[in-house]
Amino acid sequence: MPTSDSEDFESADEGHGSPVKKERKKRLSSSNYSDNALETDQKSHNTQNLTNSLNKSVEKEGTDGWDDFEIDENEPVSLNVPPSATKVEKKDTKVTNEETMIKESKKSQDTGWDDFDDWGDDEYCSNIQKTEPHKTQSHSLQPDPDIKAVTDRLAAASTGGSSAGWGWGWSVDSLLSTATAGFTNITSQVSQGISTVLETSIGAPDPEELARRNIKEREDESKTSKEESLTPKEVPENKEKDNGEAFQFGSLLSGVTKFVETTSTKVISGGLDTLETIGKKTMAVLEDGDPGLAKKRALLGLGTGDKPVLSQVLREAKAKADEEDKIKEEKREAKEVHYENLFDDFEGLVHLEALEMLSKQVSMRIEERLSGVASEKRQDMKETLQQVAELCEMPEEDDDDEEPPSEDMSKPDVLHERLQTATQDLGLKLQFQPLVKQYKEVLDYVTSDSEATVKAIYKRAVSGLAQATALSVEQYHKAAEMLLVKTRRSTADEADALTQMTVVLTKHISELATLFTEKLNSLPADNKAQTNNYITNIFLEAGNSSTYIQNAFQLALPILQIGAV
Amino acid sequence: MVDPIFDYQFRLILIGDSTVGKSSLLKYFTDGKFAELSDPTVGVDFFARIIEVQDGTRIKLQLWDTAGQERFRSITKSYYRNSVGALLVYDVCNRSSFEHIPLWMMEAKRHIEPHRPVFALVGCKIDLVGTDNKSGARREVSCEEARMFAEENGLHHVETSAKTGLNVEEAFVLVAQEVYNRIQTGEYKVENGWDGIKTGFNRPNGMDFNLLEAETVQSTCC
Repeated sequence: MPTSDSEDFESADEGHGSPVKKERKKRLSSSNYSDNALETDQKSHNTQNLTNSLNKSVEKEGTDGWDDFEIDENEPVSLNVPPSATKVEKKDTKVTNEETMIKESKKSQDTGWDDFDDWGDDEYCSNIQKTEPHKTQSHSLQPDPDIKAVTDRLAAASTGGSSAGWGWGWSVDSLLSTATAGFTNITSQVSQGISTVLETSIGAPDPEELARRNIKEREDESKTSKEESLTPKEVPENKEKDNGEAFQFGSLLSGVTKFVETTSTKVISGGLDTLETIGKKTMAVLEDGDPGLAKKRALLGLGTGDKPVLSQVLREAKAKADEEDKIKEEKREAKEVHYENLFDDFEGLVHLEALEMLSKQVSMRIEERLSGVASEKRQDMKETLQQVAELCEMPEEDDDDEEPPSEDMSKPDVLHERLQTATQDLGLKLQFQPLVKQYKEVLDYVTSDSEATVKAIYKRAVSGLAQATALSVEQYHKAAEMLLVKTRRSTADEADALTQMTVVLTKHISELATLFTEKLNSLPADNKAQTNNYITNIFLEAGNSSTYIQNAFQLALPILQIGAV
Repeated sequence: MVDPIFDYQFRLILIGDSTVGKSSLLKYFTDGKFAELSDPTVGVDFFARIIEVQDGTRIKLQLWDTAGQERFRSITKSYYRNSVGALLVYDVCNRSSFEHIPLWMMEAKRHIEPHRPVFALVGCKIDLVGTDNKSGARREVSCEEARMFAEENGLHHVETSAKTGLNVEEAFVLVAQEVYNRIQTGEYKVENGWDGIKTGFNRPNGMDFNLLEAETVQSTCC
C-alpha cells in the first residue's frame, strides 16, 4: 500500500497545483473568451491532457479535490521514519499549510511538543553519540590508558550529570566536545610525559610549562598544525561556558585548551613568518626586470586595459555625456541668436521658397507666351512687362507723405490700418493679424519694467525681427497665390498695392529695430562696447530683414506681370 | 517654435480632395488640438514638428499642407517637387475623396520625378464612423478596400481621427521611418538642389553612415 500510495501522491503532486486551477478558471471564463477561439483551443487542448492524467490519478483514489491531497501528504509522513518525513515535508512546503507542518512534527516525536527537558536530553544524547567515535578513533591510534581513563570518566560524568539540569547539560556538552577535540590533537603528537602531567596536575596544570617542555617536538610536527588551528576557535566559547560548576573538570580543561591555544598561536605565527619570506622572495623574482609587474599583468590578462574598473568607466561615461550636453547646449545657444535659423523656424524661409517656386513657374509661363506670339506683339508684351516692373520699384525715401497717426489709436492698430490702406486696391483678403499681434508683443516687452540682461534683449530683438520678417514674407506668398487664382486682374493697382505694402513693412522693421536698441540704451551700461556691438547687430539684422522683404516682393513680380500679358 | 536641434529635415506633402481633413490632421499632429471649424487652405500652409525615429535620430518634418480646392490645383502642382514623402489623404465617409486617390498619386509621382517619394494612404475622420450624429456621416470606404489599394500600390495605410488623435502620430512616424530607412539603405541621398531631405543643424557635414539600419514600423490598421 505505501508504494502505490506514494506513486499516486507523486503524480498528484505533479498534476494538481496549477492545472486544476487553470481548468477551473477555464471552465468559469470560457464563455467570455469564446471569440479567441484559436488560442484558447490550443490551450484547452494542453490543459485537457493534463487534467485527463490528473483525473485518472484522482479516480484511482476515488476522490478528488484539495482536501484529499492533503490527506495524501500526511500519509507517507506518518508512515516513514522522522528524517525522511522531514524531507517529504520540505519538498511539499508550497502546498502544506502551517497546521500540517505542526501536526507532522508532533507525529515525528513520541513525546509532546512542549516537553522541553526531554527534548533537550534527546539532543544532548545525540551529541554524546557523535563525540564517541572521535574518542574511539583516538584510542585506536594511540591507545593510551591514562587518557582513556580521563575521557571515560568525563563521559561517565556527563552522562550522569544530565539530570542535573538544562544549563549544566549544555555546558558539559560543549566542554566535552572541546576536550575530545583537544585530546585528539594531543594524543597524536604528544608523548607519554604529557599524559603524566595531565594525570597528576588535575586541578592546576601549568600550560606555560607544558608548552616550554614540548616546543621542539611540536615544531617538527608541522603536519598537525592544521588540525590544531581548528581548536582555538572553540576555545573562547569553552571559556565563556565554563562557569566552574563542573567541579574539577573546568580547570583541567581550561588548562588543556589554553595549552593548545598557545601552541597553535606559536605554530601559526611561525608559519606566517615563513610564508611572508617566501612571498617576498617570489615577488622579488617576479618583479625582476618588470617593475610594477606591468608586463606580467598584461600577459595574464589582468591589465587595466582588459579589465577596466567600473567606477572609471562610469566616470568616463559621465564626462562624455557632460561634454555632449555642453556641445548641444552651445549649438542650441548659437542657434537661438542665429537669424537665418530663427527665420526658418518661423516658416519664413519655406514661404520664401514656395514663393520662389511659384515665381519660377510663372516666369516660365511668361517666357512661353512671349515665344508663342508674333515678333511685333512680343515687343508690346515686353514693354508691358517692363512697365509693371517699374511700378514695382521702391519709391525714394520721403516721409512727408505720411500722415501723423491719430492720438487715440494704439501703435499696433496704426500698423494694421496702414497695411489695409496700402493693400486695399489689391482686391485680396490678406491676414495681417499675426503681424499686428507680434508688434503688440514686442511693444509690451520693451515697455515692461522687468529686469532683462543686455544679452536677453539682444536675443529677443533678433528673434522679433526674424518673426516679423517671416510673417511679412508670408504675406507676399499668400498674395501671390491668391493673385494667381484671381479671376479679374488689375495689374497696375496690384503692383501699386504691393509696393505700398513693402514700404509699410520695411518701415515696420525699422521701427522694431529702434524699439529694441532704445531698450538696450536705456539700461545702465556695464559693458558699453558689448551693448554697442549688439545695437550694431540689431541694425544689421534689420537691414537683412528689409532685404528679405524686398526679395519677396521681387519674387512676386512675375505673378503681377502675368496678369498683364 | 520647434526645438532647434535635429539631424535631418524631411519634406512631406499632404494632398487630397478639399475638406477631407488635411489641415486638421496637421493641426493635431503639430499642436495636439482639433478645430471644429477652419478656413479652407489657401495655396499651401506650413507646419513643422520634430520626431525621433527608432534609433533616436531626430527628424524635423516640414509639412506642406496643400489646398484641396480645385482652383488652387495649378498652384499646388508647383509645390510637389521637393517632397520626399506624400500623404494621400481621404475621408472615410466620403467615397469620391477615396476614388480620387489614384489621380492624386499619379499627379504626385509625375511632379516629384525623378525622385520616388514614400507614399502613405491616410483615411481621416474615423471618429465619425459608427456614430449616429446629426451630420449623418457613415463609412463609405471600408478599411479592407483601402488596405487592398494600398497593398497593390505599395503604400502604407492608416485610418486616423484628428478629433480623437487616433493614429495621427503613427501616420507621420510611418512615413518618416520609411524615408529614414531608405536613407540607411542608400536609396535616398542628400542632394544639392533638392530639398526633400536636408541635414539638420546638428550634422552639417553630411550623413553618418555608422548609424545602424532601423527596422520598419508595422502599420496598425484593420
